[in-house]
Amino acid sequence: MNETYLNCPNITMRLETASILVHKAIEAVSANIIQKRNLIWLELTGCSGNIISLLDGADPDFKCLATQMVNIVYDNSLMAAEGEFAMEKLFGMLGKDYILAVEGAVSTKDGGLFNVIGSYRREPITAYRAIKELGEGAAYVIAVGTCASDGGISAARPNPAKCVGVQDLLNRKVIKLLGCPCHPDWFMGTLAYILLYGEPAMDEKARPLMFYSSLIHDCCPRRPFFDKGIFAEKLGDETCMFKLGCRGPVTRIDCPIRKWNDRVNWPIGDNSLCIGCAMFGFPDKMEPFISFDTTKKE
Amino acid sequence: MTDTERVVINPVTRISGFMEIEAVIENNTVTEAKTEGLLFRGFEKMLEGRSPMDAVYFTQRICGICSTAHSIASSMALEDAFGVAVSEQGRYLRDIIHACEFLQNHIRHFYQYTVPDYIKLPEDNPLFETDHNDFRLPKQKNDLIVQHYFDSLEVSRSAHKMLAILGGKAPHNHGIFIGGATSEATKESIGLMRSISINIRGFILSAMIPDVCTIAEYYPEYFKNGRGYGNLLTYGCFDGYEKLGTLYVDPLVYADGAVSVINPQLITENIHSAWYTAKHETYTPEGEPPEPDRNKSGAYSWVKAPRYGGAPCEVGPLARMWLSGEYQNGISTMDRTLARVLEAKKLTDIILKLLDSLVPGVSLQKEYAVPQKAFGAGLTDTTRGALGHWLKIEDGAIAQYQIITPSTWNLSTRGQDMLPGPCEMALISTNISDTNNPVEIGRIIRTFDPCVSCATHVYAKGNLIKSFKVVP
Repeated sequence: MNETYLNCPNITMRLETASILVHKAIEAVSANIIQKRNLIWLELTGCSGNIISLLDGADPDFKCLATQMVNIVYDNSLMAAEGEFAMEKLFGMLGKDYILAVEGAVSTKDGGLFNVIGSYRREPITAYRAIKELGEGAAYVIAVGTCASDGGISAARPNPAKCVGVQDLLNRKVIKLLGCPCHPDWFMGTLAYILLYGEPAMDEKARPLMFYSSLIHDCCPRRPFFDKGIFAEKLGDETCMFKLGCRGPVTRIDCPIRKWNDRVNWPIGDNSLCIGCAMFGFPDKMEPFISFDTTKKE
Repeated sequence: MTDTERVVINPVTRISGFMEIEAVIENNTVTEAKTEGLLFRGFEKMLEGRSPMDAVYFTQRICGICSTAHSIASSMALEDAFGVAVSEQGRYLRDIIHACEFLQNHIRHFYQYTVPDYIKLPEDNPLFETDHNDFRLPKQKNDLIVQHYFDSLEVSRSAHKMLAILGGKAPHNHGIFIGGATSEATKESIGLMRSISINIRGFILSAMIPDVCTIAEYYPEYFKNGRGYGNLLTYGCFDGYEKLGTLYVDPLVYADGAVSVINPQLITENIHSAWYTAKHETYTPEGEPPEPDRNKSGAYSWVKAPRYGGAPCEVGPLARMWLSGEYQNGISTMDRTLARVLEAKKLTDIILKLLDSLVPGVSLQKEYAVPQKAFGAGLTDTTRGALGHWLKIEDGAIAQYQIITPSTWNLSTRGQDMLPGPCEMALISTNISDTNNPVEIGRIIRTFDPCVSCATHVYAKGNLIKSFKVVP
């Protein structure tokens, strides 16, 4: 990538947004300018992919988050506690100040019994009950990933567990960070913004504008191929993936700029295509992901 | 007079997905154990009617921890169905991607999921509060491992970075596909991956292996519990290359004291104690899948009972390390943990060997045509053990999809044979020193690295599911 492209203020500023916000938040916490708040990371009906993705955050990284930025009170993937003691920590937050991050959809079938997240005082706690009880009292609710935001793949037809996004069950604003998984920067940047300034500017679907304001297609380094009508005929080609079914033209997120895993690559950079995983309606409205037939018809 | 207690642990934290363990403890010994998987989504049903080509990116979403594994198995099943032969270079590329996932998983599993069981982490952080106090290391040794807990975060994520160099992103990569991988290697990418591998290897040698040895030294009784049956199985991985031969382990099984080569025809599932009905209680994965039946009398679980030649088998790092001859110290809780750590080192050897064998600039992708009618199977070992995908294509769409995951093997129910699954067998007869804080149970279960998101992906039509019970 050439320097002119990197020096575009739109791109450089956006690349550094999350990092700048997190470092500001950490400074403010350590100087006692702002309070170190409680964070609950509630995993529901999903695949644990968002907490794993969060661990992949490089600058800022998970260590900053867990030791300097917030108190992580509950996270079933990482907490040392287990069983009843873990659930006491979770429900002990009711009535206190906490920010709720949710990954995974909420299974609603048969009263939510398709997903039990723990047992508290001898009662099974369904994902449905947990989100109802913890969702309304949270200072902020952040849906992390496409399942929590909109049902995602957990709600793919015929939606056997009758999964829905968190918003469907709460009468309050839910900040939505779509993506399968959610990029660590999107979560860390949003959380840091909340700690410093409160709710970030969002679009009409509650996606923070600092990450979700442009289409993949508008920032795609392969856009010149599209404009000239040079299209890939198979995965592995280094031209525009549009005719294979690339969802970059409709997907609103900053992957081409931010990239993944220490900014080393991203799906289109890997000679594959965007499958629209950060879009409402993923996966059903984004399928088929890969179609060789559209190129043949030309 | 016997002293009997029933213990419930829910959630079992530091695993993937949601699980409850119920154990009956008599005179400080576990006499009965039951694990219930508590998450259900129904991927196999979701896949019906979709484009076969989409299975690779779709099935990865079964699990955010081992998504690469599902992309490998689904690509292999599609290649089998489409009649596509994967090239030697294609295998190198995707096996490197796969090995990176092993590395990320093992480093994270050891430090973030296992270490908190044995090491006192700073309790001023609410994430690390515990309700037991069985932490035995002297302060200096404990503090060193605490330091490595945090250092390891950068190391495990560098394994995902290496994965993304060829795979596009992690979790849920785009690089593994029919024919091998979407991207070709370049001199630059090979160099970058080599340098990351060498760094990871350095950390494994200087921190991870010494740390697991320290823990083993202070918890010696864990070499004597958590054994299970001692039957071990692998579908093989990093094996059978045209030019390189087998870099790790061939498809082998160890049962009844003898090692033999896997015959896929001997893999069966049984639904005797599971909520399904079928023409035959025992069937092979290619056969007609059973119909869910929540009201079946005598059944207690949604997890079926995979068997190899009739035997319940443990799968995972210890099985592979044992069957490849790399580690045969024993079969126990601590041996399982040691094998996982030592396998991480082995994987860096494999990655470096594969990187050496890559030819830059070899393009692998073709335009693939979906057959109207076909059947395909993809069997491979992955981080947690043996993974199989079987699919049937009709009218150019997925007509049937079956998955048997490693955690289904380890969390198996009782079949017609009434034998408990490997995980429960490992719990039964365990000595519990303090029944108020039965830390042994969680420690034993975690050595299997259970993935409940994977084990309970099955579909059930319109039935009430309270839990996925593994042992009554």
